[in-house]
Amino acid sequence: MSDLALLLQDVLEEPKLIDWEWIGENFWEDIVPAFQGHIFLSFVSVAVALVIALPVGVFSARYRKAYPPVTFVTGILYSIPSLALFAILISIPGVAIGPAPVIIALVAYSLLILIRNTVAGLDSVPPETIDAARGMGLTNRQILFRVELPLALPVIVAGIRIATVTIIGIATIGAYINGGGLGQLIFDGISRQFPTMIIAGAVLATVLAIIADLLLLALERYLRPWARARRT
Amino acid sequence: MLFRILEVYARPDFPEKLWQHVLLSLAALLVAIAIALPVAILIRNTRLGAAIAINIGNVGRAVPSLAILALALPLLGIGFASALVALTALAIPPILINASTGLREVNRDVIDAARGMGLSGGQILSRIQLPIAAPVIFAGIRTSAVQTVASATLATFIGGGGLGDLIVEGYSRRGPEILLAGAIAVAILAIITEVGFGALERAFTPKGLKIAQKRGK
Amino acid sequence: MIEFRQVGKTYPGSQSPVVTDLSFEVLEGEICVLVGPSGCGKTTTMRMVNRLIEITEGEILIDGEPNTAMSATRLRRKIGYAIQQIGLFPHRTIADNIGTVPHLLGWNKDRIRDRVDELLELVGLPPDEYRDRYPAELSGGQQQRVGVARALAADPPIMLMDEPFGAVDPITRERLQDEFLRIQEDIKKTIVFVTHDIDEAIKMGNKIAILKQGGVLAQYDTPENILSKPDSEFVSSFVGADRVLKRLSLTRVGEMDLEQANGGTAGLPRISGRMTARAALSELLGAGQSSAVVEMDGENRLLTFEAIEALTSGAEQSA
Repeated sequence: MSDLALLLQDVLEEPKLIDWEWIGENFWEDIVPAFQGHIFLSFVSVAVALVIALPVGVFSARYRKAYPPVTFVTGILYSIPSLALFAILISIPGVAIGPAPVIIALVAYSLLILIRNTVAGLDSVPPETIDAARGMGLTNRQILFRVELPLALPVIVAGIRIATVTIIGIATIGAYINGGGLGQLIFDGISRQFPTMIIAGAVLATVLAIIADLLLLALERYLRPWARARRT
Repeated sequence: MLFRILEVYARPDFPEKLWQHVLLSLAALLVAIAIALPVAILIRNTRLGAAIAINIGNVGRAVPSLAILALALPLLGIGFASALVALTALAIPPILINASTGLREVNRDVIDAARGMGLSGGQILSRIQLPIAAPVIFAGIRTSAVQTVASATLATFIGGGGLGDLIVEGYSRRGPEILLAGAIAVAILAIITEVGFGALERAFTPKGLKIAQKRGK
Repeated sequence: MIEFRQVGKTYPGSQSPVVTDLSFEVLEGEICVLVGPSGCGKTTTMRMVNRLIEITEGEILIDGEPNTAMSATRLRRKIGYAIQQIGLFPHRTIADNIGTVPHLLGWNKDRIRDRVDELLELVGLPPDEYRDRYPAELSGGQQQRVGVARALAADPPIMLMDEPFGAVDPITRERLQDEFLRIQEDIKKTIVFVTHDIDEAIKMGNKIAILKQGGVLAQYDTPENILSKPDSEFVSSFVGADRVLKRLSLTRVGEMDLEQANGGTAGLPRISGRMTARAALSELLGAGQSSAVVEMDGENRLLTFEAIEALTSGAEQSA
């Protein structure tokens, strides 16, 4: 343990690795905007993705024939490595304006998991429950919003959790095509050969991703009280 | 345009970059398996060990790939080796989670019957637990493989080579055909990996388990 | 033959023992049924024979030698083991499943194959149809038969069976019980059989060991004696208030000493000699008659209330 402590000490004190003065000076100028920009990108992308994925998911759960082609297309989008997708989007004239290509790519990546989990969540609603609801006189729309979606919520949130973490991660790469965010610190650090910026960006991006993961995990557990008592 | 893209593939340095990419991904994957699988096997019967492994895996899965690769730069320097270390670290979580879960989820009654019949611990591991957990383990390896091929694209930023080089070159020199050539090559490689490992997964699923899956047992 | 000598089991950190001072003998070729309410330690006791659970007091002797004389793994390969959940290996064929222990013991392939076929025939599953199937393709009852075949595979002298027919419906269970008793007539294994069902215990056991909470032996005796001379309040209430009727199910009509019927048999119900005395009584009551006709050795004999009553007379003591 003391070896590790010594190593950490070295890393933290090594002027070539972390320049704490620089961090102090540029905190509000560089670091905070990068952090904010990153949260903005991620949040907007998740929101847009949900707006698309939820209706498509509900539709695919109802009309199963649509599900395989939907999975196929979103699966292909998911398989394309992020840098490649960014590159392709940049090449399309008219798309490459501001953060648009990054957001489009981030949305494209998360569609598969969100749609898949929406369908899985709706599938997990017991048929007897829907039957009872129909028997009580609820319309299809009411059943969807008052019975099915609430019961499917834990699985859907699990999908949102994975999508959010993925988006936060890939958004770092978006900085390469001027998307901003914490990735900007990383890339600038690489080109300026300034490790402090690299470490600041990388560590903050990691911390952001882990916090988002834990928060959404807590939400997921909260929504699923019967799983809280289960042994791992 | 299409023709110009094809010209890029005819470049003398293309096979080298392709090979670098494949080598990086494959090596990282194999080392990750060599680390994650034995760990999963060792902790298969302890509840605490499994909980730790799964938590490490979950946290590991959340970490952005670029962050780890970028951190390798100041700590390990530039080049193939640093990229390999970073990619290996990134490849471990999905395998660790799946192997750990898969081994622990083997039906307790099957293991009890095996013990009662006189199989030793090692025989139970090799003849019962590993074969039954194989599909889940392979699913984890497949996920990790696809993820690693994608992350290897980023190795270019720390001088690791690979197809990412083409994308960066095309972007900075405004050579859209180079950029697209690189992007398409990586995309195809990722899809081949997904399909290839999917086939491997099916090949390693014991026949009895396939039948059980079909019958929803 | 299996001897329990003051066997006890207490888990570390626990105040109360799960098994207390058990002493009894299971004779060769007999089925000894361990039965009792849940928490009585019957399954724990059985699992101590093949050391899946280790004893904390006393010892278990198998044919005079302590069961700790060899490694646990070697011991288990000499003891057949069949559990309620069966635990067939889902990824192996039925033949592979059955052949597991012979394979471990190093039998050659041909010998294993012949043995597998022999056992499949024995449990009523045609080998050509079943040997290459997988567990998921079989029904619960078929899987349970394979479980028994697997336990018999290496022809062990001793078998441990924990509710082996528990996972199926009552009709299938009865069939499996009957078939197993038929098989036991040929193979005469020494068997420790665990169940929570007193009726199954009475049907299957040559001897019954009734256990109380904490693994205390309440009575160890033949089914007949347990039913007619229960040792304690616990035993008589566990056995049930209808124990006299239960005794009647121990005898078949065909085994009874019946007088010849001399005419006048018109209108009387006909009963098969295979029926138990208890079922026969039920028939008589249902038909509103006091006697019935049974065909035995080509003659008509008369089954009367008195004849049935005679079965249960004799030293009947209540606790």
